[in-house]
Amino acid sequence: MSQPKSNRAPVGSVQCENTTLNLLKANDFVAKAIRDRLAPHDILVLNICSSPGSGKTTLLQETGRRLKDTLKMGVLVGDPETERDAIRIREAGIDCLQIVTGGMCHIEAQMVLQGLDHFNYEGLDVLFIENVGNLVCPAAFDLGEDYRVTLISSTEGDDKPKKYPRMFLTSELMLVSKADLLPYVPFSVEAVTQDAKDINPDLEVIAISSLNGAGMNEWCKWLEQKVAEKKKAGIEA
Amino acid sequence: MHEISLVRNIFSTLEHEFPERMDKVRGIYLTVGLLTNLHPLLMQSAFDAVLLDEPRYNKTSLHVKVLPIKIKCAACGAETEVQQYKFICAECKTPGNQVIQGEEMLITQVEFEDTE
Repeated sequence: MSQPKSNRAPVGSVQCENTTLNLLKANDFVAKAIRDRLAPHDILVLNICSSPGSGKTTLLQETGRRLKDTLKMGVLVGDPETERDAIRIREAGIDCLQIVTGGMCHIEAQMVLQGLDHFNYEGLDVLFIENVGNLVCPAAFDLGEDYRVTLISSTEGDDKPKKYPRMFLTSELMLVSKADLLPYVPFSVEAVTQDAKDINPDLEVIAISSLNGAGMNEWCKWLEQKVAEKKKAGIEA
Repeated sequence: MHEISLVRNIFSTLEHEFPERMDKVRGIYLTVGLLTNLHPLLMQSAFDAVLLDEPRYNKTSLHVKVLPIKIKCAACGAETEVQQYKFICAECKTPGNQVIQGEEMLITQVEFEDTE
């Protein structure tokens, strides 16, 4: 039986080149281009991550309803297929562009940069990038965001931070979603907070329910504060 | 996961970096941090799969080295190798998230066949 090709030993003498080529270099380069492009506009950019079905779109709909008179919001939403999420978000009165990743498990910076060509972001206070539902791959891709917000819903179990550490390590805020279901499911906000803070001690945690409104004031306040900080930094710079 | 696109990424990076020598490339050495979730075995399978499409790289082999996660303590400055994703300083027990190793995704060495 022949060896797998990749295990074949090199033949003859070899020349070695030591390199430090970064495999994510291309993505990071584009992420910087996104930051440069948005910098003059002082738009707060949030990368919203979670498992599929944790309530990202519902959160954005509800946030839109609550803050549409105070903040100008826009959404780029990524899904492997369909435009369903964009339709839902537009119904809440928020400008939205669907990024169809064509089966890919995460959004890459290039998709966001292209999205910006087709999306009117001027005058926005906050741009949400709703990532593909997945706690693994999106963690590796910088999309030019200011903050990464990760949702974990009460129905998916409180063991997720330890299972998907990189996502929680690279997030600034963890939203425990579907808090209205906490009385019915074996999920401890305290335990999930402890596990997540073992990985990332600076992580902020808010438990929310987009359906009954619990924690939504706190989330909206967080958002408004970050928008204000972004504008202030823009004025000072 | 996205191993296939990463392997394609490796080749396009190298094609950009060494355009004249790609027909001589024989070995590619990667160093990846544990936090990247890249598994050497899966990278190997993805590499073999991409070679089916790219027969000109049939003589090339892939070598993946995984680095553990290390953090530097903001309080005492000690460096700790993180076990079981517990981001706590081994010396003073302060929690910390200042990762100094573990997020790498690097091509560290490329071997070319010597023609002379």
